[in-house]
Amino acid sequence: MADVAPEDGGSAVKKDDGGLPVGPQPGVSYPISVHYCKECSLPVEYCDYGPHPEKCRKWLETNLPELVETLATSDTPEAGEGDEKKHQKRGGKGSKPAATKKAPTKAPANVTLQRAPRGKNKSVTVIKGLGAFDIDLKVAAKFFASRFACGSSVTGADEIVIQGDVKDDLFDVIPEKWPVVDEDAIEDLGDQKR
Amino acid sequence: MFKKFDPAEDIIGTQQLKSSVQKGIRTKLKEQYPHLGDYINDILPKKENFKQVKCRDHVEMIAREDGVVLFVKPRDNPYIPTLRLLHQYPFILPHQQVDKGAIKFVLNGSQVMCPGLTSPGARMTPGLEKERVVAIMAEGKQHALGIGVMKMSTEDIRQINKGIGIDNIHYLNDGLWKVTTVS
Repeated sequence: MADVAPEDGGSAVKKDDGGLPVGPQPGVSYPISVHYCKECSLPVEYCDYGPHPEKCRKWLETNLPELVETLATSDTPEAGEGDEKKHQKRGGKGSKPAATKKAPTKAPANVTLQRAPRGKNKSVTVIKGLGAFDIDLKVAAKFFASRFACGSSVTGADEIVIQGDVKDDLFDVIPEKWPVVDEDAIEDLGDQKR
Repeated sequence: MFKKFDPAEDIIGTQQLKSSVQKGIRTKLKEQYPHLGDYINDILPKKENFKQVKCRDHVEMIAREDGVVLFVKPRDNPYIPTLRLLHQYPFILPHQQVDKGAIKFVLNGSQVMCPGLTSPGARMTPGLEKERVVAIMAEGKQHALGIGVMKMSTEDIRQINKGIGIDNIHYLNDGLWKVTTVS
């Protein structure tokens, strides 16, 4: 065990001289609360290495203004800029500029229905895409179950399975129950294996 | 290791563990990380159940009742805390500090090379043997930026000063970092 001098002051974990700390530090209460940047999800001190430091900075200024100074005094921003000039930028995989990241374009939401075989002569109906309409899947599954008098469950992210072949009925039932879903937005995928 | 991790695809199933198994895992964690001590009760309260999440490639995860992933166990490796947990309890793992120049590479998932651990900005905890799980800290930063497994002992790193020193398992903004909760 290394010699660990008692240390006070908030969440400082590291001593500036000598070895690295071992074991819980006296004077520090755990768990330490860490500020994570909402923009890049990293701890704020690593924002400079994130995908879009400018956005992070803006977020930080609006949300945690008291932390901006601590970051500004640390030497990372200047050092980062210096490095930028010295080194030629490489086209690495990791450092994609934010602009090239494809923005999640509002694709026309679609509900898809498909029938999947279950055993020899039974089938289930798989509904995908309801979640995109802000429909609570659990409630929807329950509704289908009582409506068709059969089993129905949420089986994955944005997927409901109804036991039994009720695809044809769904074309009427879904727009009736949730007017946000247009009947044209429902797509029939036919028979498909799950 | 967790550069790519998609919860929708890579998680096979979650399992509620028997309380006897949970007890076993708790003692194992305590044994493995003696510094945890009493804090284990804050991390995994005795009263509450936790879940085991099975993933592809024989990866197991321990998740709290509400789905927050706490520990990860890739194949034969020991249980490894996730970075979020490590940030809260930094003493779980021994620290190894890399210099500033290495940060961006580590954040890209690269292995930590020996020179990054021996240069003036870097510091090492002495006496760590090979295959030890360590927290990768950085010069001038307060929080860990990665978790890795030592590929050489501290002394060897200092002497040989070449090649891979720490194998990067989990780092900020990798696939596992983005998984906050599992259902």
